[in-house]
Amino acid sequence: MSGEPALMSLVAVAKAIAAKKFSSREVTQSCLDRIAQWQPRVNAFMAIEAEEALAAADAADAALAKGENLGPLHGVPMAHKDMYYDAGKVVTCGSKIRRDFVPTTTSTALQRLKDAGTVRLGSLQMVEFAYGPTGHNVHYGAVRNPWNVDHITGGSSSGSGSAVAARLTFAALGSDTGGSIRMPAHFCGVTGFKTTVGLISRAGAMPLSQSLDTVGPLAQSVEDCALLIGLMAGADPEDPTTSTRPVPNYMAATTASLKGLKIGVPTAFYVDDLDSDVARVLDETIATLKEEGAEIVKVELPDQRQLTAACQIVLAAEAAAFHKRWLIERPQDYGAQVLMRLQNGLAIPAVTYLEALRWRGPALAAYLAAVTGTDAVIAPVAPMPAATIAESDVGNSLDAEAVIQRITKFTRPINYLGLPSLSIPTGFTAKGLPVGMQLIGRPFDEAGLSRIGAAFQRATDYHQRVPKAA
Amino acid sequence: MTRPDPKQVKAMTDVAGVPQDSEVSARIATSIGPAFDGFAPVAGTLPMDLEPASFLLAQRTKVSK
Repeated sequence: MSGEPALMSLVAVAKAIAAKKFSSREVTQSCLDRIAQWQPRVNAFMAIEAEEALAAADAADAALAKGENLGPLHGVPMAHKDMYYDAGKVVTCGSKIRRDFVPTTTSTALQRLKDAGTVRLGSLQMVEFAYGPTGHNVHYGAVRNPWNVDHITGGSSSGSGSAVAARLTFAALGSDTGGSIRMPAHFCGVTGFKTTVGLISRAGAMPLSQSLDTVGPLAQSVEDCALLIGLMAGADPEDPTTSTRPVPNYMAATTASLKGLKIGVPTAFYVDDLDSDVARVLDETIATLKEEGAEIVKVELPDQRQLTAACQIVLAAEAAAFHKRWLIERPQDYGAQVLMRLQNGLAIPAVTYLEALRWRGPALAAYLAAVTGTDAVIAPVAPMPAATIAESDVGNSLDAEAVIQRITKFTRPINYLGLPSLSIPTGFTAKGLPVGMQLIGRPFDEAGLSRIGAAFQRATDYHQRVPKAA
Repeated sequence: MTRPDPKQVKAMTDVAGVPQDSEVSARIATSIGPAFDGFAPVAGTLPMDLEPASFLLAQRTKVSK
């Protein structure tokens, strides 16, 4: 087999290693070569562990030579957002406060990927404590968008979006509390899967908001994400909030057509005040889904602005509670914007916080009633493509929260409702920046979203396009 | 429900044990105010017999297409 292995999809490279068409060392070296080329430009990695990665790759190759295959990702190199605890490794959480933090346990999600045979390349950059949607980080520098390095990646899984887009890793874990997987997927032109609250264990993942945090992957394709979700999903004694329902075969869902499916298009909110390129790509995406056999119907959703507000109240209060000790002892060690946003949570009365939690059930029931008869809803991830790093560097200015609110306008309602949402690359702006759309599903219907997303990707090639190195 | 003003924010941060000065309290009031405005139509309208766990019930209810 010829070509650059790092450019392959996760599913394809895993098959190639298992079939001994490429060794894990060749694949890992290919990733390391690209990392050496791209890291100075995009700052996607927090730590690069080349020697350890090659040694692990050699061990994987030796095992395979002896007929031992550790699992479906045997020998596949990967790096993840630097908030997944990996026993014995520094996990900074993108912060100064945890610059030297070495956990003694490994997160369940990460362990399940290790058990499947992955090789660790290092760790990926992120927004400080995962609390920000742009990708800025005052401690470790902004992560840059491989499609145009003057632009943001989106956050908080900034390194994950950038590294997958530049093909430095075959996939990466992100986390999504207010849009942090879907945003970098949209801005960087990769596939990102925000999973249903309760599908994947959060044990050993740095907490931001216990009610809203979700674990999920960013990768080249829907098929890649389906494989990863299938490996990570399912009950975990270390996280009692995980669902005990059986894990479906998400990969099997990726082969079906769209015939017989109904996809809803909101009549308001998600289609209002869109950048012209985003509006055009939304229309083109709907047209493609229709051509592939889906029936497109209008859906009138409940007031999404109230969901956004409720999400902000829950997130602010829970984040402030997690960080209270450091807010007292080490406020000077936070970046200005993250400190400001954590301080916001101090002003949420307990009654208001609990009201926002109590309303979640009726709000979800009302949403599900509104989308009855559809298999998914399609909406933009954000009203705009990636802004420049300079224009989005608002720090703790008075209008910072307003800027953040505008970027996360279309993602937060989904976090509040705890729904799954698949962000897929669906086009480009006139200036060459990626545009993604989110497919929003019913609780635990990741298989249904995988079916729709994979059918779209069979009909298009946006997910296969790779930014060029300068 | 009304958004807290800077004086109220200062009192809340004091009670929370993370006291902030007037300038920071004013910034917090400006920053978090829109969330209070957005949630105002819901606040104070929920029936008594409604627990946060109703979310799990809604999530696990079998919803037909």
